[in-house]
Amino acid sequence: MDLKEKLISSFMAFEEQLDLSSPIHEMRTSSLKQFEKLGFPTKKHEAWKYTSLAKLLKNDYSIFPKKETVIELKDVKKYFLYDIDTYKIVFIDGIYSPFLSDTTHDGIDVCLMSSALSKDKYKATIDKHFNTIANQNDSLTALNTSFTKEGAYIHIFKSVVAEKPIQIIHFSTSDQGPMLLQPRNLIVVEENAQVQIFERHQSLNQHQVLTNSVTEIFASENALVDYYKVQNDLDDASIIDNTYVAQKAKSHVSVHTFSFGGQLIRNNLNFFQKGEYIDSTMKGITIIGEKQHVDHYTLVEHAQPNCESHQDYKGIYADKSVGVFNGKIYVNQIAQKTNAFQKNNNILLDDTATINTKPQLEIFADDVKCSHGCTIGQLDKDAMFYLRSRGIPKKEAKGLLTYAFANNVLESVKIPAIKSRINKLIANKLGVSIGHDL
Amino acid sequence: MAYTEEELKKELETKEYEYGFYTDIDSDTFPIGLNEDIVRAISKRKEEPQWMTDWRLDAYRSWILMKEPEWHNVKYKKPDFQGISYYSAPNKKDKYESLDEVDPELLDTFKKLGISIDEQKVLAGVAVDIVVDSVSVATTFRDTLAKKGIIFCSISEAIKEYPDLVKKYIGSVVPVKDNFYAALNSAVFSDGSFCYIPKGVRCPMELSTYFRINQAGTGQFERTLVIADQSSYVSYLEGCTAPSRDENQLHAAVVELVAMDEAEIKYSTVQNWYPGDKEGKGGVFNFVTKRGICHNSAKISWTQVETGSAVTWKYPSCILKGDNSIGEFYSIAVTNNYQQADTGTKMIHLGKNTRSTIISKGISAGHSQNSYRGLVQVHPKAANARNFSQCDSLLMGDLCGAHTFPYIEARNNSAQIEHEATTSKIGEDQIFYCNQRGIDTEKAIALIVNGFSKEVLNKLPMEFAVEAQKLLEISLEGSVG
Amino acid sequence: MLTVKNLYASVEGKEILRGINLQVNPGEVHAIMGPNGSGKSTLSAVIAGNEDYLVEKGEITLNGEDLSEDDAEQRAHKGVFLSFQYPVEIPGVTVTNFIKTAINASRKAKGLEDMPAKDMLKNIREKAALLEIDSKFLSRSLNEGFSGGEKKRNEIFQMAMLEPKLAILDETDSGLDIDALKIVAHGVNKLKSKDNAVIVITHYQRLLDHIVPDFVHVLHNGRIVKSGTKELAHELEAKGYDWIKQLAD
Repeated sequence: MDLKEKLISSFMAFEEQLDLSSPIHEMRTSSLKQFEKLGFPTKKHEAWKYTSLAKLLKNDYSIFPKKETVIELKDVKKYFLYDIDTYKIVFIDGIYSPFLSDTTHDGIDVCLMSSALSKDKYKATIDKHFNTIANQNDSLTALNTSFTKEGAYIHIFKSVVAEKPIQIIHFSTSDQGPMLLQPRNLIVVEENAQVQIFERHQSLNQHQVLTNSVTEIFASENALVDYYKVQNDLDDASIIDNTYVAQKAKSHVSVHTFSFGGQLIRNNLNFFQKGEYIDSTMKGITIIGEKQHVDHYTLVEHAQPNCESHQDYKGIYADKSVGVFNGKIYVNQIAQKTNAFQKNNNILLDDTATINTKPQLEIFADDVKCSHGCTIGQLDKDAMFYLRSRGIPKKEAKGLLTYAFANNVLESVKIPAIKSRINKLIANKLGVSIGHDL
Repeated sequence: MAYTEEELKKELETKEYEYGFYTDIDSDTFPIGLNEDIVRAISKRKEEPQWMTDWRLDAYRSWILMKEPEWHNVKYKKPDFQGISYYSAPNKKDKYESLDEVDPELLDTFKKLGISIDEQKVLAGVAVDIVVDSVSVATTFRDTLAKKGIIFCSISEAIKEYPDLVKKYIGSVVPVKDNFYAALNSAVFSDGSFCYIPKGVRCPMELSTYFRINQAGTGQFERTLVIADQSSYVSYLEGCTAPSRDENQLHAAVVELVAMDEAEIKYSTVQNWYPGDKEGKGGVFNFVTKRGICHNSAKISWTQVETGSAVTWKYPSCILKGDNSIGEFYSIAVTNNYQQADTGTKMIHLGKNTRSTIISKGISAGHSQNSYRGLVQVHPKAANARNFSQCDSLLMGDLCGAHTFPYIEARNNSAQIEHEATTSKIGEDQIFYCNQRGIDTEKAIALIVNGFSKEVLNKLPMEFAVEAQKLLEISLEGSVG
Repeated sequence: MLTVKNLYASVEGKEILRGINLQVNPGEVHAIMGPNGSGKSTLSAVIAGNEDYLVEKGEITLNGEDLSEDDAEQRAHKGVFLSFQYPVEIPGVTVTNFIKTAINASRKAKGLEDMPAKDMLKNIREKAALLEIDSKFLSRSLNEGFSGGEKKRNEIFQMAMLEPKLAILDETDSGLDIDALKIVAHGVNKLKSKDNAVIVITHYQRLLDHIVPDFVHVLHNGRIVKSGTKELAHELEAKGYDWIKQLAD
């Protein structure tokens, strides 16, 4: 039985755990039909031209975790942002871990999707937002919707500034063989509210794990959302991250994605601008080697005038790794005075590495400033010589320059603890020793 | 009072296609539809050898199994391939011995097109092969060229007179099964140009082909094959026009270029097929496959000015097979009214130290859609490959669209690739500045557009550049944004 | 030559000029001075026919002809030249090509044939020499990547080529070092004759040491609050614009 059939036939078993009278359940069943119709994407789909899921889909994934696993904080502390005070929503093999978490209902809701979907208190918010911007025609999103059960639910009320960052951490363990995880997150940030979120997926032992995650983010007028994703998993962990962001007037949303490890990473990042004077920022650093594969697929839809978007993705590829960047800027006819910029710079460190990049512009308004630039190249020879003539050995000089190449993406990271953490990760990845204040 | 945008638009709409006249000459046209018998009949009419007939049939058999591509960013009603006639020739059987024998109406056509096949061309140094509705009607300067060993004739003649050369190279760059339109062309092409430049010869004059679709309800399927032998050089020009017609006409050409070691081919096109009227009615569907292969240290340079056609689907490409070979693509694509263009190039880097340059300028006005689609591919063995691409779009008005779809695939770590794209409009301050110096708005737009396109215009042979500049002005007059 | 009567003008609904009166005769040099925002550049833009500015009231005549219905290019054909404070860049269009187009457009409006290439070339060379412009400069794209000084010199070069009746120099001194200023002033003085007139718009007295005005007008809040001879410029320099504000109040 292939994975698609297995998923479809498991749905009945899944239904047994659910409240079938909830309106959400109708969404689950119709999404399952949609998934049944579309199936998993293949390389024949333009959007998946450079990334094949075929190998991953051969694994016999367990779809539901069978038991709760307990892990000690001391064993996993290093995966958290531990040096600053934060809220935490932690899952182990898809199941909420109250022991590792630190949630709140004090002025803001930082809690679980399972309770948000079942309790009356959240009904209005769920009805208004849940599954409204996720792409119904995307098979993986539909699959996630049909198996929606757990994830993070974050609601920042009007004019509230979340006083500390929120961490969403998913651990997976090796106890149960290959595992498919499908977290579903909903983040609602009301007018003038602000929040910072940090997300990480981490498998704790070598085992096949595939995460198919969907996150919907709503930023109301003048809201501020900063989202940081760290993807530094073990080499048999894969993730397909589907993030949808809807922004209203004058809101600012940034998503930073740091991809340093994993078997296959696919980030589908979609921004929909639904008001004027919006700012959307997408940044990423990818540093991979071996046979790793990272694919960034971004879309910014400029639907209203006077908005901006900024994309800056840097990639460094070694060994037999493959990088893909596919970025699309879409400017609607009425979206005059749009400023949309996209940059994708890549360095191939080895002969065997591959980069495929496809930056796209689709412009229907004339009074706009849109540009994209992408480069593929090597480290600057003059700079290399300069460093070596000052006595820095070749390997370190290479590391240092590569580090410098990637590092300027970090300038827009607002949480110092994240900045220094990423800094260390980059330095570590590149084998250079640098103080993290650099 | 100021010349308003509205007035400009109105004037543009009433601007008729200057080349939209129909020449009333007797034609020999096949019944509509396509099957193996028609393919055989075309081959027979052209008195082709059996191998050519077989080659065509093979192509036809591939074609019927293929599907029309849909990945491009253009929308149109698919042509009914059984609703067109696949052969139409001006009704004189033989090639003309001298210009006096040419149907006077046809000569008049050439005059209207601004082509003179008389002494003026001697001065201009251009040898012309003219293809009307698929058949080559005149090739000038054969003798002058023959002295240097250069062969410049129609492809049908070449099939008869130089079968070895044709057999060796036809379909070698664009295989029969390459794509739907190429397969169709391979089955039914009725004529086209053939050119061979021998080793070490620098072709003393520009070679030129003019294409025209005249007859209603026909398709034009010409085939061009240019072979530049070792260390030779040729500059080849191609121009096209068609009369204004309400229905769509189909043009599906194939151009193959072979540049042997250290050879250089410059291929310039000014495409001005009928674009349809201001409502988007009629116009030519231009589905063209152009590709060249570069051997060691060879260079192929494509330059195109695309102002015509209702729908354009065209990607002149270079396969940089040899070490140190160079590919270039310079393009200006102008779309107005309801025109759609999906055009660009492919640069396939296979050899070491290969270089490619892509400069694409898209100008969209009216309700048109203009897409750049390009591929830069660096294969694992292509050490030290270099590419620079620049795609600039100019939008005039808010009813049109500009799209950029560059695909960049690098599999060698010594590759250096740079791609830049920008979108802009003509600034009101630029127009006012020109106005203040006494230049009216329409002229100011022409000036600014010419400036925008300059890097590409500069690559055209002088004579073509002037024509291209004029065409740009005609296509865009009055479409201020 | 130029007569401005009771001119009121606004931009984006904001009234800038509030009743300007100005008479410029052939052979005269007028300087218009005033603090930032007093309406100096607006006045030049309105005379040149920039459509962003709306004339609410009053009239502008050139040699007795009303200009109000004329487009910018028609005014240019009649001999109005504006040297821009911020000359506009036109990528890909060379200085030579641009000036050739401009001259022939004016000739066409007057019913003349295009200027023969030989004469054009000779003319360009002469005028370029006058302004100490290198021939390489002429084949660069118009104003693209030009330094401030190059842009202004290019404006005066175009003025020399177009031979206007009325030249308005809008802050031509801004962005110029002293050497460039001298070259530009020298060029303007050479071009001055008993048949044409120049209006110099400037913030500072500096340029007026080199292009000596017959009349100086001080603009404040959209009105000419004081007119005089060249000494007024010195007085203004010495007393500062606060003095004018006091005068106006």
